Amino acid sequence: MPRNLRFALGILAVAVLLGLASLHDLHQHIERMSESQQSEEEARREVLTSPIATPTDVEQQAKIFWAAGPDRIAPIQVELPLSDDPVQRSKQVLNELISSPSPEQRILPADAVLLGFYVLPDGTAIADFSDPLVTEIPSGIASEERVVDSIVETLASNVPSLRRLKILIHGQEVDTLAGHVDLSGFFDLTPPASQGTAGPTQGSTSPERSMPSS
Amino acid sequence: MIVLDPGHGGTDTGARGESGAIEKDVVLEYARVVRGELERRGFRVAMTRNNDSNPSYDDRASMANAYHNAIFISLHVATMGEPGTARVYYYRFGSSPGGPATAGNGKAKAAISLVEWWGAQLPHLDRSHDLADLLQTQLAQHFPGSPSTAAAVPVRELRSVDTPAVAIEISSVSVSDPSSLTAFGAPLADSIAQALESFRSGPAGGN
Repeated sequence: MPRNLRFALGILAVAVLLGLASLHDLHQHIERMSESQQSEEEARREVLTSPIATPTDVEQQAKIFWAAGPDRIAPIQVELPLSDDPVQRSKQVLNELISSPSPEQRILPADAVLLGFYVLPDGTAIADFSDPLVTEIPSGIASEERVVDSIVETLASNVPSLRRLKILIHGQEVDTLAGHVDLSGFFDLTPPASQGTAGPTQGSTSPERSMPSS
Repeated sequence: MIVLDPGHGGTDTGARGESGAIEKDVVLEYARVVRGELERRGFRVAMTRNNDSNPSYDDRASMANAYHNAIFISLHVATMGEPGTARVYYYRFGSSPGGPATAGNGKAKAAISLVEWWGAQLPHLDRSHDLADLLQTQLAQHFPGSPSTAAAVPVRELRSVDTPAVAIEISSVSVSDPSSLTAFGAPLADSIAQALESFRSGPAGGN
């Protein structure tokens, strides 16, 4: 075999070995990436469902509006560590509402996640829920009304600085909750008339819509 | 003109019961029974659908808005709730300043007034409330156990209807025997007819 051919084969063999080694490293790198890769939804869940209590929170009585029969909601007094900050406080009571003490009292789907909560300077609250809030509730005017009422009443009863509420689904404005109740407007968060009573409340959904400039 | 709106339709089945009751079919049957009763009593009646189609919310509103002095009644069956009860809903915007926006300057306002599509129901809230109360009173008599008062809920189908508009929801597809749901058609028709006669003859019925 000519000397230069042997030399070329030698270089080729080294190149192949280097290529194989690089391929192995690349394969391991991809595997590591795929193991740690999360969906956007999973990442949001991880961040937003982490404990939101702070050391300055004070144990207080919160009123959470859960189901009290097939077509009613009623406030239940719950001892919760609550923040003075309206955003944190709102997240705390809404997460408590989602957690629900029993299947019979559940209003919001167990898979629903509060993805975000913001308060504008004028007291407008924006609650951003995950898709299960619309996909996992029974379709119907009464059943959708209960879901909205439970959110509205729980916020109105525990976070007095809020004035009105806009509900988003996965960051988007949607036309209806599950085909019936209009979500395009704002819901009043004035304290409910039932506050201070143990009786159930019903039919208090009252959206408010800002008038567009003409 | 009474515009009856059987909810859902087509691929949108609405509520489905384990016994096989499907909301879109039940409400279409209700609408046909109600139509017959109303026509028998001298009302003119139109329906937003008379088959398994699914007009959009805006198409349904457009049909009602095309008539002068119409009354819009949307029919639904609930997923849950005490079977054999019924509730009436009217649209509510809460504490908004309310009222449709008018277009143009003062001169133009005097000549023409435009109603924004999203707020078409706003000028009719009081009359819709009156109609809802009349209907709820009748339904409470025909469907024992029903609430005594109508509820203010922003039902999407009512939002752009430029005439008195209400939604009625019967409970529910959870009945064990679907034929019992069908049997609610006659008392529903009678309730609606009596309420509409009261509405037509009362102070709220005029324009």
